[in-house]
Amino acid sequence: MLKDITLGQFFPAKSPLHKMDPRGKLLLLILIIVFIFVAGNAFSLGLVTVFLIAAMFLSRVPIKIYLKNIKSIWVIILLTAVLNALYVDEGTVLCKFWVFQITTGGIQRAIFMAVRIVLLILASAMLTYSTTPTALTDAIERLLSPLKYIGLGTAVHTLAMMMTIALRFIPTLIEETEKIMNAQKARGADLESGGLLKRMKALLPVLIPLLVSSFRRAYDLAEAMECRCYNGGKGRQRMKQLHFGLVDLFGGLISLLVCAGVIVLNILL
Amino acid sequence: MNNMENIIELKDVCFEYYEEDQNKTAILEHFSLNIQKGSFTAVLGHNGSGKSTLAKLLNGLNKPVSGQVLVEGMDTADEKKEMDIRRKVGMVFQNPDNQLVATIVEEDVAFGPENLGLAPDEIRRRVDEALKAVRMYDYREHAPHKLSGGQKQRVAIAGIIAMEPDCIVLDEPTAMLDPRGRAEVMETIHRLNREKGITIVLITHYMDEAASADRVVVMDTGRIVLDGTPKEVFSQVETIKAVGLDVPQPTELVYELKKAGIDLPDGIISTEECVAALTGALREE
Amino acid sequence: MSLVTVKDLSYVYSPDTPFAKTAITDVNLSFEKGEMIGIIGHTGSGKSTLIQHLNGLIKPTSGQVLLDGKDIWAEPKKIREVRFRVGLVFQYPEYQLFADTAYEDIAFGPKNMGLPEEEIDRRVRATARMVGVTDEMLEKSPFDLSGGEKRRVAIAGVMAMEPEVLVLDEPTAGLDPAGRDRILSRIREYREQTGATVLLVSHSMEDTAKIAEKVLVMNEGRVFRFGSVEEVYSQPEELSAIGLNVPQVTRIFVGLRQNGLPVPGGVYTVEQAKDALLPLLRKGGGADA
Repeated sequence: MLKDITLGQFFPAKSPLHKMDPRGKLLLLILIIVFIFVAGNAFSLGLVTVFLIAAMFLSRVPIKIYLKNIKSIWVIILLTAVLNALYVDEGTVLCKFWVFQITTGGIQRAIFMAVRIVLLILASAMLTYSTTPTALTDAIERLLSPLKYIGLGTAVHTLAMMMTIALRFIPTLIEETEKIMNAQKARGADLESGGLLKRMKALLPVLIPLLVSSFRRAYDLAEAMECRCYNGGKGRQRMKQLHFGLVDLFGGLISLLVCAGVIVLNILL
Repeated sequence: MNNMENIIELKDVCFEYYEEDQNKTAILEHFSLNIQKGSFTAVLGHNGSGKSTLAKLLNGLNKPVSGQVLVEGMDTADEKKEMDIRRKVGMVFQNPDNQLVATIVEEDVAFGPENLGLAPDEIRRRVDEALKAVRMYDYREHAPHKLSGGQKQRVAIAGIIAMEPDCIVLDEPTAMLDPRGRAEVMETIHRLNREKGITIVLITHYMDEAASADRVVVMDTGRIVLDGTPKEVFSQVETIKAVGLDVPQPTELVYELKKAGIDLPDGIISTEECVAALTGALREE
Repeated sequence: MSLVTVKDLSYVYSPDTPFAKTAITDVNLSFEKGEMIGIIGHTGSGKSTLIQHLNGLIKPTSGQVLLDGKDIWAEPKKIREVRFRVGLVFQYPEYQLFADTAYEDIAFGPKNMGLPEEEIDRRVRATARMVGVTDEMLEKSPFDLSGGEKRRVAIAGVMAMEPEVLVLDEPTAGLDPAGRDRILSRIREYREQTGATVLLVSHSMEDTAKIAEKVLVMNEGRVFRFGSVEEVYSQPEELSAIGLNVPQVTRIFVGLRQNGLPVPGGVYTVEQAKDALLPLLRKGGGADA
């Protein structure tokens, strides 16, 4: 069950998206997210949608996997849509009940919001599917590196290191959780029945050992890192250097064109 | 001139440590030990004999209360030499999971050299070479958590070799592994010792692992009880049993037979030696 | 009727996905009351999967596990009852300790069984005594105990449920020879006192030879051999062929036989080797070349 989480997972494939520099991808993602919200009418939002769907196919990650993500949060999408439909009071009134009324404007906003959330998820998934977690962490560290000029160099490095270690240990801890759960079940622990409070209490025999072992791991790891000459990132060099290439240039240009298109369509239509 | 041959020297070291097995503090008192360059030394002892404490003294993770630990002449108490000492004496720990930092094998191996601030090309060269040395090159792009225990431990060793140390200290590197993993790790460290001339200090409580070393040091409650070649050490069956350890089965068998009055040669530790000696004795009869 | 019967048991991890992996195939076994059985095999040989079937932590893909002739999954709601009768001690069990005191931790299983207070107290103290945990240790936090003590408390936690079948996955992993011998003798004592069936997973064929009466060898998800220690260990070549480390004395005897000496087979402890060799060496019974 814990193993089914797909968001934030990397899917190895040979695609232009995989080839792009993670820094570039991260910046473009931010840009696209902004423009998902800038797009104010059906045409501009449509343009962004077409662009993202094209990119999705270009990523060579099975479309099924993208859809699975959306399936897992359809409740949130629906809820947002319904709330918008009820809340927005514009255009012709379609129907009325109790204190609520549904208007054409409301319906339109509901659809827009639903599409935006879906696009948001697709775009983010595209980044994580096509970029290894390490590359992503690396990109964040490098993009934030100018902060060293205001004395935050160590903070940026520490943050990146923490992310790397978290990524490294998530599978280990999931495995360990399952092991401890089984060990307690073997002693008759009942983790599956009862009310919320009872279940929370039943989880203590799992959580405490997990916490204890995480501290032990943290201590061991710190010692091992020290033995490998780690001293907080001072004078550290990286084996894998990042380079912007042609594919980044193309990706960037196309994205910018789409953004320009959104603005034009917003104004014209 | 002795200094030239010794890579590590412990001189009259005192250190207080927590004795896990007895749940109390114990003391390493006036402890002296030299590790020769290029040698393969096994340190044997039961849990809480101070052997892990000793391991951490060798690269300055533990600093002696009094006395000196010299690594190629550098005092581990000298903070300015800390990094130099750590790159000379690498350390591999018991739990393979808790010493891997990165989500990809080759990036983990690169961690040490990256900390040393080497040029990217040089890091790449060292990483490839280290992975080939532990026969894990084909797994360079794998995620560590999907590897077996023995493979993880070999990656951990590669991470140390990539710093190009002169000596590797391994603190019970096989305790959590299955027999196959143990064999892989033992084969790897023997090869590194033989082919690259890396000095090995292996902390263990497995007798068969110690039997394959050049030198065996047996510890008990913070002091050295026996020190010599495996043959010399394992012929002291009673002393070894008295400190809660075993001897290899062939040694024990010969010891029992000798106690019963059979005339057999001393210093038998391997199966082959035992077969040869017994064949000789049985044919003589 | 056997206490535990495993019938045509197969298990596939993540079935119907590209990651499907068969862990065990067509396993048929039966264990009698009071038997001491050693289980050996490589990591990935299916032994962990097999033992987790015995107390219903894993549900078979096909086949059955019978306890006293009754399918343990006949009433899925009552699977916890099975877990009380078939106690399973995992590898490195000290990592499951959680309670404020060692006493509370050992009492966790008996409490889950819903036993009355006095019975819980009796069981906790009795098992603690059996595994060598003193009253003083019982009052301490389990996290303040030494490594060996923690291990013993954790094993006591399962023993206190007084299971009829006690399964231990490498209970001596990571311990030094003294700690290892201590744990093995406690396990032996548990069996003597309760008459339980004990299954002991181990990587060490030496330990298995010392303690078990029967040996189950698993290989590639199947039963490779199941029989008395004598039967299984009398074919050391066969075991070496699947990469298991036969005890060194056994290998010595194989070597002696290859040299044409008339030494007996089925020798797997130093004690036996000594007894077999002494008469030959004393009265010149060796084969003269």
